[in-house]
Amino acid sequence: MKYSDILTSAFTALRRNIGRSTLTMLGIVIGVGSVVLMSSVGASMEKVILSQISSLGSKSMVIFPGSNQEGGASQVFAGHDSLTFEDIEHLEKLTTIDTIAPIVFMPGPAKRGREESSAQIMGVHPNFFHNQKMSAAQGRLLDAHDNDRAARFALLGPDVKEELFGQSDPLGKEITVGDRSYTVVGVTKALGSQFFQNADDRVYISLSVARQVTGQKYASYITMLATDSFDVAFAHVEGLLRYRHKIENPKNDPEKDDFIVRSSEQANAILSSVSLGLTLFITTVAGISLLVGGIGIMNIMLVTVTERTREIGLRKALGARPRDILLQFLAESVALTVTGGMIGLIFGLGLAWIIAQIIQGFLSTYLFAISFPSMIAAVLMAALTGVIFGISPARKASSLDPVESLRYE
Amino acid sequence: MPSLISLSGLHKSYFNDEVETAVLHGIDLEIDTGEFIAIMGPSGSGKSTLMHILGFLDRPTAGTYTFLGENTAGKNDDDLAAIRATKVSFVFQAFHLLPRATVLENVLLPLLYHPGIASIDREKYARKAIASVGLSDRAGFLSSQLSGGQKQRVAIARALVTEPALIFADEPTGNLDSASGLQVMEVLEKLNAAGHTIILVTHERTTAEFADRIVHIKDGLIESDTSSHKRRKAGADVKLK
Repeated sequence: MKYSDILTSAFTALRRNIGRSTLTMLGIVIGVGSVVLMSSVGASMEKVILSQISSLGSKSMVIFPGSNQEGGASQVFAGHDSLTFEDIEHLEKLTTIDTIAPIVFMPGPAKRGREESSAQIMGVHPNFFHNQKMSAAQGRLLDAHDNDRAARFALLGPDVKEELFGQSDPLGKEITVGDRSYTVVGVTKALGSQFFQNADDRVYISLSVARQVTGQKYASYITMLATDSFDVAFAHVEGLLRYRHKIENPKNDPEKDDFIVRSSEQANAILSSVSLGLTLFITTVAGISLLVGGIGIMNIMLVTVTERTREIGLRKALGARPRDILLQFLAESVALTVTGGMIGLIFGLGLAWIIAQIIQGFLSTYLFAISFPSMIAAVLMAALTGVIFGISPARKASSLDPVESLRYE
Repeated sequence: MPSLISLSGLHKSYFNDEVETAVLHGIDLEIDTGEFIAIMGPSGSGKSTLMHILGFLDRPTAGTYTFLGENTAGKNDDDLAAIRATKVSFVFQAFHLLPRATVLENVLLPLLYHPGIASIDREKYARKAIASVGLSDRAGFLSSQLSGGQKQRVAIARALVTEPALIFADEPTGNLDSASGLQVMEVLEKLNAAGHTIILVTHERTTAEFADRIVHIKDGLIESDTSSHKRRKAGADVKLK
């Protein structure tokens, strides 16, 4: 029997039992579909995070007030007073730190006439724009001169500009934050989402002004760029802050600190471990679903062999060798799993695409991504499942005695 | 020229939990090409077992089976399958058609296992065989949509399609009314007239009368071997050892 005939016979047999075939392959469809879906969502998220990390550069660091909790979770306290401006003055003196930019959050909302925005109001040091690699799309950024003379200027993110000014030119116009008014000097280029926050829905005010308005003596958080090696800068920052905050922490227990230092390299490492965890999770889900699906297929194939005993006897009477029967039933089993795998693939990709469209609504940098290795591996695993779980029923079929099979009632 | 089939001292026993049940006790028989032979006998006489051995679906326990001048004793399962695919075919009492397949698909089935017919020619062979049993207009019908007589004619077309040297018909009229049975026997008669060797296994005297030669089996032994008065074929070499 030719291989092409074996394949044709297999698919013909599946078509003749379309209802049963569909139900039998459902386990494989769900298994492969979920693997493809999860790997696609994982690949999309990885792309988003990697693009954000790479946009900040490998020397970027952030210090938050707060502490690391047991098990690695971080508790950031934006209103915590552990990062004082005296700390910042000392940090500026570290040779391993290139630029440092404290940020103070201000209460909103930002208004223009009757228009109101829920944008985050941030008092920032001019270094912030350098650290975040930001530039102006319109007008200019806030500079050291503005900061030094506490000028009442505002820099808008593009979403705020759209909200308050629509299509009109905002430069030179006034907005109010709280009970004070500010002149708009620029609009930033679109940044999209940064670590799942909309970086375009912000109003930037000079740090000196924010400090005057809020009277705040501590920073909400600090961004920094290391001069060279991140590791050395990290150690220096940690050592200096522990010394100034009188924290005894020789064992580097992050729970004892009242600050959290994060870097893009750390985020990379976290991402790698999350990726590994996700891969292991997907593999486990795939393994379990294919095992369950495979057992279902073996059961159905055993039933099929019993049901088709007379057909097997007939085929043998017509000249089929045991090998022909074995290959025919094995092909049916593999055809079931591969067809299920292909349907699962399409189903998973379709669902991943729909999810991508939904997420893009609030995370514009999220893109539909496909993990080709996962897709190929999932379909190959489905085919292998067909071979492994199909071999026993196929051997049973091939070993049937033709005379007994023809008499089977 | 050697006989198509030559049996010498053929025995067959079945073993169940080491208990031996002897079915054939030493059959000697020769059948020549072109014969239409009926094997008759009561239920349990061993006629079906003999047909299964002759049709390479089963093996004898002892004795010699020579087919087309070749001793079949040393042949393995694949060799026997190859003979079934090319040299012999079967028409069964229960038709054994695939119910969800069309007439054409049923008749194409043996060609999947025939190494000598190219894939491209298969349909031509199948349609020719269907035409020879007068069912060309039913080629696209599902076999489950046919009457009993039509089903058996499809089974005969399936047996013919590989152009075998020998056709076995096992109680071919057993599931048919007398009119359909007659039609089927007339088709077999025509095939024999066209040169096919036919071995008919039956317990019905009227059906056996279509054959040129009738072999009676009783208790695993040939009781009689006679030429039919009705249709003796000139030159048929009938022997009883």
